Amino acid sequence: MNELRQIVATSLIGIGSLRERYATALVVVVGMACVVGVLTSMLSVTAGLARAYFRPEDATRAMVWGGRATFDQMRSLHPDAIGTILDAPGIARGPDGAPLADPEFLMWILPVEGFAAGSLQVRGVGPAGIELRPAFRIVAGRMFRTGSRELVVGVGAARKFGLSAGSEVRLRDGSWPIVGVFACGADIIESYLVGDAITVMAARRRAGFAQVLVQLVDAKAYPAFEAWLMGNPALSSVYVERKTDYDRRELGVNTTFFTRMSFVIGAIMALGALFGVVKIMYAAVRARTREIGTLRAIGFGATPVVVSVLTEAALLGAIGALLGASLAWLIFEGRDMWVWGAFKLHVAPSLWALGLAWGLVTSLLGGLFPALRAGRLPPVDALRTG
Amino acid sequence: MKFVPLVWAGIWRNRTESLLTLLALSVGFTLFGTMLTLNQAYERAIVDTRMDRLIVACAFDCGEIPIGYAQQVARIPHVTAVGGELWTGEFHPDKQHPPITVMLVDEGMRRAWPELPMSEADWRALDLNPTGIFLGRTAAARHKVHVGDTVIVNSGPGGTADGSGLYYFTVLGFIADPPGWHEGPLETIVGNLRYQQNWGRLDERNIVLTLRVAVDRPENARAVCREIETWFTNATPALYCVPARADAQETADANINMRQISLGIGAAGLFMILFLCANGIADSVRERLPEFGVLKAMGFRDSHVALLVILEAAIPTLLATLIGGALAWAVDALIAHLALTGAIALPETHATPAAFGWALAAALLIALLSALAPLNRLRRMDVAAVITGR
Repeated sequence: MNELRQIVATSLIGIGSLRERYATALVVVVGMACVVGVLTSMLSVTAGLARAYFRPEDATRAMVWGGRATFDQMRSLHPDAIGTILDAPGIARGPDGAPLADPEFLMWILPVEGFAAGSLQVRGVGPAGIELRPAFRIVAGRMFRTGSRELVVGVGAARKFGLSAGSEVRLRDGSWPIVGVFACGADIIESYLVGDAITVMAARRRAGFAQVLVQLVDAKAYPAFEAWLMGNPALSSVYVERKTDYDRRELGVNTTFFTRMSFVIGAIMALGALFGVVKIMYAAVRARTREIGTLRAIGFGATPVVVSVLTEAALLGAIGALLGASLAWLIFEGRDMWVWGAFKLHVAPSLWALGLAWGLVTSLLGGLFPALRAGRLPPVDALRTG
Repeated sequence: MKFVPLVWAGIWRNRTESLLTLLALSVGFTLFGTMLTLNQAYERAIVDTRMDRLIVACAFDCGEIPIGYAQQVARIPHVTAVGGELWTGEFHPDKQHPPITVMLVDEGMRRAWPELPMSEADWRALDLNPTGIFLGRTAAARHKVHVGDTVIVNSGPGGTADGSGLYYFTVLGFIADPPGWHEGPLETIVGNLRYQQNWGRLDERNIVLTLRVAVDRPENARAVCREIETWFTNATPALYCVPARADAQETADANINMRQISLGIGAAGLFMILFLCANGIADSVRERLPEFGVLKAMGFRDSHVALLVILEAAIPTLLATLIGGALAWAVDALIAHLALTGAIALPETHATPAAFGWALAAALLIALLSALAPLNRLRRMDVAAVITGR
């Protein structure tokens, strides 16, 4: 108990003296803010992408597609196969008893000037496609009519390509009007033009669907659903995956390396900051030598002195980390981005926690040697030299 | 020269802290140098792509252009050569394996895309061996194959005339990677289109995925593209054309913008060490005020004192630039090696004199900025008060 009191007292004295050493303290704070700011800013890209791809409802969903094509847009599931797929066990049913599954059609459209081929895509959906996306709502204009050559554009694509209700895009059979703009709770579908699947397929002169989005009764229904599809001789070259795994794989192509690189850069910057913290904390111990000597002379133990130096380092590191995460949040949170699809950067709460932990570990490691040195200072020498 | 002992004494006054500052600065400059060379590598991938090369694809993602289109495109004014390419990719139902993708080219590619790093002898060998392939250095490193080896590529059920989907390629040799081509899962493996034309599925023969077109002058590129699109507006399929450099730029913009990000990280690294450097020099000057007072009393002019302080700030930063430059060079070599083996999806980075020049300039700027506040303090210093300890 006595030692605990000593720890609190020495820590408070150390922290109290920071006002006289604000310039050196600022070095640790700014250094850590840079480290954590860069780390959280970079990871906000992957967090934003993950938020756009992964939806809570995906855990009970599956994706079925036809094989033999590298790109989603070039896959082909013959319409004859769709009926068989919808007969599979485990598919949830709507109020009308129809299976909650939507055969989708995907296609790239003519690149808009200044944007790479493949940037703008049309997703053809059926009635169940809208039902499967409860967040889907029209924010301007109106919904496309089934069977009509009409499209609605997601808010992300609208922003990126300057499209709105009233714009037109060229498909293979001529110009198609955009009759509305939709939002879907920041889902990646907001990067697409959406229209009636059958009508879009007719324009594309192709008979095959790209994939079928399936709502299962629950997550446990997946193994039986998969086994039934894969074992069905009527369905050749058909593949199935849980929606979460499917998205993770699709997303991984863009983000796995970038995430790893973010951590490597964060670690390199932390190493630089670590040297800085060691230097600053040595200077802090030097500045507090007389104070430490006095405390030791009046009976304070070495441990409270060590802890007080570590506390000071941790406090400065935490302030810097929170400052860095705050700056990243202020600058990047909600900012529109486009990485083969529209999404918003997201400095997620988990990134704040990661940044704080990153800053704390770095500063504690940096404060360790100076703290041990402070603890080993002989009181008499400290009083003489301080 | 008379300043050197004074500057050295200042720097070496507190060895541990000076060394720690130097280490932190070195890490900062390593990061800055690496990010700068990374930025240059991404820029190079765009700049090295020629404006007088056009990429022609299907306008509405059909992915199939009749090979006969090539002859019609070749007749358009300013077009000097047309080549066709088709990709056949290895198919893995479980999708866990990295795909092997072979770019099958016709002989028109030899003139339409001379930047493809194949010699006359390579082209001749490919012509004589339709089942032959040349692998880029990255692909060779990834797949660990030798000349004469057979590489079996499964294009998926029904992908070939016999329904097996299997292509049996023979390794003829190795070539360099075109700039930026080894990034990501795609790799440079060049094969002969004739193999697919004879062995592919019947309804997939006589088609290509992309036409590459060479034009006589870069300034004609856009006009030729418009001409190609106009010619094929009502064709099935209609065509879309883009100059290769514009395509590289647009593709880079559609992806995570590594050029901006690398510069941002480099700048953050410098900002981090700026405060450390400034704090070090401020502490040094504050603790040695009497010493500076004595120097001034001895007749050192303000400019001499300023020079002393600036040198004291500049020497560690310049030294850190050298150490950081050497480390960045090593990191670049590591990145180049890992990129080559496909372990990382980054372009090959090479330390350049320009990057080192920027690092030196940044080091001097940091030294000058760090010295500003201490110099101001010294300029306003009351010499008598400082010497007498008042």
